[in-house]
Amino acid sequence: MTQALGRVVATERKPNTPHEFHFWTALDSPVGIGTIVRVDGRRPVNGQIPRVYGIVTEGFSYTDLVTPLHDVMSHDGAPESAGFASAERAEIRLYSAAVLRQIPEEPLQPVPMGDVFLALEEDVNIALRMDGYLRDGSNTGIPIGVYRAGGTDATIFLDADFLVGPEAAHLNITGVSGLATKTSAVEWLLSSLFAHFPDSRGSIAAVCFNVKGPDLCFLDLPGKLDDGDRALYDKMGVPARPFENVHYYAPYAARGYALNTLRSNEALAHNVTPLTWGLREVLQYAEVLLNRDDIDAKADALIDFITRSVIDQSFTDPMLSRAHVVQSFADLEDWFRDVLRGLENGNKESWRTHHVATIRKVRNRLSNISVRCAGLVTDSGPVSDLPFGEFEDRATYVVDVANLEEDAQDLIFARVVSKLREHLERRDLGVKHVVVFVDELNKYAPGDGPDTYVRKMLLDIAERGRYLGLVLFSAQQFRSQGHKRVVGNSGTSVFGRMDPDELAAPGYAVLSPATRTKLATLEKGQLMIRHPHFTQPIFVRFPRPAVMAGRLGAEQFPQGGEVSLDVAVYRSLRARDSSVTLQAVEDAIGLHDEGDVLRALAVTLKERPSDVLGVFRARLPKRITQSVQARPQVAALRGGRGDDPYGAAR
Amino acid sequence: MIWSKRGISVSIDALRAIQSLLPDAEIVQSDAPADDSYGGAYGEAPCIAAAECVEGRTLRAHRVVGEPEVRFAGFLDGIQRARIECHRNGVPIVEGRVAAAIRVRVNRRFTTWGHRIPIVSRRLYMPLVFLQCEGRTEIDGFDIVDTSYDDRTKALVSRHPGALRAVAFERVGRDRDEAERNLAELWCSAGDAEPLFIDGGISGSGRVASASCAVGVIKSHQTLFADGDALEVVMSLRRGERSSVFAPPSTRRHSVISWYLRLRDPRGHDAMFGLVRIEASVGGDVASRANEISRWVLAEAAPLSLPDSRWDRMAYGIRDCEQFLRAIA
Ligand SMILES: Nc1ncnc2c1ncn2[C@@H]1O[C@H](COP(=O)(O)OP(=O)(O)OP(=O)(O)O)[C@@H](O)[C@H]1O
Ligand SMILES: [Mg+2]
Repeated sequence: MTQALGRVVATERKPNTPHEFHFWTALDSPVGIGTIVRVDGRRPVNGQIPRVYGIVTEGFSYTDLVTPLHDVMSHDGAPESAGFASAERAEIRLYSAAVLRQIPEEPLQPVPMGDVFLALEEDVNIALRMDGYLRDGSNTGIPIGVYRAGGTDATIFLDADFLVGPEAAHLNITGVSGLATKTSAVEWLLSSLFAHFPDSRGSIAAVCFNVKGPDLCFLDLPGKLDDGDRALYDKMGVPARPFENVHYYAPYAARGYALNTLRSNEALAHNVTPLTWGLREVLQYAEVLLNRDDIDAKADALIDFITRSVIDQSFTDPMLSRAHVVQSFADLEDWFRDVLRGLENGNKESWRTHHVATIRKVRNRLSNISVRCAGLVTDSGPVSDLPFGEFEDRATYVVDVANLEEDAQDLIFARVVSKLREHLERRDLGVKHVVVFVDELNKYAPGDGPDTYVRKMLLDIAERGRYLGLVLFSAQQFRSQGHKRVVGNSGTSVFGRMDPDELAAPGYAVLSPATRTKLATLEKGQLMIRHPHFTQPIFVRFPRPAVMAGRLGAEQFPQGGEVSLDVAVYRSLRARDSSVTLQAVEDAIGLHDEGDVLRALAVTLKERPSDVLGVFRARLPKRITQSVQARPQVAALRGGRGDDPYGAAR
Repeated sequence: MIWSKRGISVSIDALRAIQSLLPDAEIVQSDAPADDSYGGAYGEAPCIAAAECVEGRTLRAHRVVGEPEVRFAGFLDGIQRARIECHRNGVPIVEGRVAAAIRVRVNRRFTTWGHRIPIVSRRLYMPLVFLQCEGRTEIDGFDIVDTSYDDRTKALVSRHPGALRAVAFERVGRDRDEAERNLAELWCSAGDAEPLFIDGGISGSGRVASASCAVGVIKSHQTLFADGDALEVVMSLRRGERSSVFAPPSTRRHSVISWYLRLRDPRGHDAMFGLVRIEASVGGDVASRANEISRWVLAEAAPLSLPDSRWDRMAYGIRDCEQFLRAIA
């Protein structure tokens, strides 16, 4: 039995209630704001000695001094003489604590007088009701951090059923830039989730949108940890390793063949896949890119008509000069031009119920998309996408949208999340649960501002995702500026160092002034957690994520420069087969035009064949293949390298 | 304890004991009656007594030489509480509580000496003659103190309820003196006892009166040991000044040396403001002893004991002791 460190006191002015009590401690006791304590009552209730668990929310200290003037008089108004006074005044450390749990739970009574003890690890489990989900056989605990006070070191677990669903879901993290360790905390929690998500709940993967600089670009590389961090990993049973199965996706830069990501160093190219979508992929989400006022019922009808009856099929109309097979933005532009010419020639105002003005407007908007989202949307059609349907357990898919225009970001969000949702609904995504991490939520789901498609979509995940296994982890600096229902639907809320202005927002009034002060001065690596099982917020420590910090990664792996088409293809193919050589790729590409090359590349990457180069060659149009065959001597002159399958094949 | 109508705590166990003996006694639930409703006040009357000067021939003012010095290691005080719990036909039955403690100073903070339980006693003070139960010494575990007779004259006390009450209250006070004395003797019996600050005189106990570690500091001046010019000297002592050392007349008490000391500037205040009388054991060079001990006592002038009304004379250590005793008794 440990020693009591305090005693409950109650006066008429400061009485105890069922939810709050007061106690005093020795002046040197290790109690502080956020410390969890246990009160052992003195008298049994219904034959049971009541035990009350509480968390310190406020502290007071005072002496027997009635007015400050008495102290001035004591020292003749000379502060420098005060240090020599013969005695210190009687002094108190008085704390208020919010009740976490009472045992027995019924009858619910005001907290009794009793001795106060520092909560030990097992007390913390009971106090936070973690005993309910840490049982052998049905353990759904996910470590989020370690609670520390006095000599107590207790792992704090979240309940997977309340973090990932179905009981509750989602997590939101708030705090000031740089000091709150928001992004780091989510990275850490994902490792913990992957390590502890119970088998009984099925498979889980994460889709992270990298929205800022190099933040999430090096999740598969080891980071710098100190001994303190490693001790925390050990304590919580999470391997201190970077993520093992990470896949990066990024669109091309607007010009050239480099991918638009800070992870473009050749040494890291092996798991970076281009993200390119064609007309069909984009049109489904055209709404995302068209403003409210752009898109009226008439325009909507026309887009719908194009999507259903024009794309990917042979389209004929008596008014048109020829049959159209629309597979790309370029084809679509030709089709529009033909339609408008037909209308002009026939001096007609409308065609198939669509007014000429509507046709002009939709044409403008759609052709703009391929400009505004250059790099993502290919004019010519090769599609490279996330492996919907083949998601892997404990894999992380990072979509780098950090350098993209807002339109392209929105489009990517909308389509990726909608696809995840569709697949989860049909239960054919490949995994049962997906955590979607959206940093800088303020930007995508602001509390005020227009009701954008992206915001509606995030709201939809927040409200319905938990039934589907679609879980949102979001982060932002100012929670009060996020959309209320997106933030409010987060079962778990995490707070790092907070801005004092933010803390003045009405939402934080429930916290005691001392708790708010603590939040405003939290160190890096400390978080305050709210979780459905915890009746009060809890402070924890977590380790640095075991992955390379974005800034360090960007220094160690500088961006690859501009690359030629040949090099871009070479890198993509070599990622799949390390025996591919640049020479062989150059030879294969020869005089093919860019569109054909990219198309062949996309198809190859999608098929994932064993003979990468062979398939790539086969997917290039025939006509040109002959001209490649016309250059064997060049290859032979330069070649003779046994590691060149292209050369060796001949 | 139970709570009566007016929120005063009544000792239920004491009441039960009394009622087992005197079933018809009237329980007093109200607050203690004001003194004047009982007539006869208790306590000494102010007086002046001559004292023999032992430092020079006439009493005069001396500036205390040197800086105040923190030397006291312990502070001794006692408290008493007396309350009429019951009366039978006006004969008061008083419950008296007495407690005494020494608070020692460790790192400038106070804790109870020896971590021992301080002396606390509860007794019933009643004139057994007027209650027709002479000879009783105890009821239900409560010691009875018979207050029927005056201690000094051995005469039966007047049946006037005020006189009976005064005797009972005085006995409680004497018990408190005894408790304090016992503690002081315990402290002084240690071989190398450090200086002890005692609230009140030290001449009541031979062992304490002769101990060099014991210093009595008297705050009330019912009897002033200075007449004629000497009184003027005492009344006009300035801050940091002491009177010459004198020997208080020791009729019933043990001999000690004594002097007056002014702790605070009395300008704009009552003549007694900040004035204490100090008692110490006889021995050594009286002048240097008086000077040294005065320096010790002056060091206790801060922190102030406000809001206590006697703050100008009360050392903070004594206030702490008193607060402690009130909390436990
Ligand atoms: N557990 C930890 N202990 C100590 N320091 C940490 C910990 N986790 C992260 N840090 C440090 O805190 C810094 C900021 O982290 P992070 O980038 O996650 O903050 P952020 O809140 O996401 O900032 P921003 O709002 O700018 O995106 C980093 O330098 C990181 O090394
Ligand atoms: Mg961040």
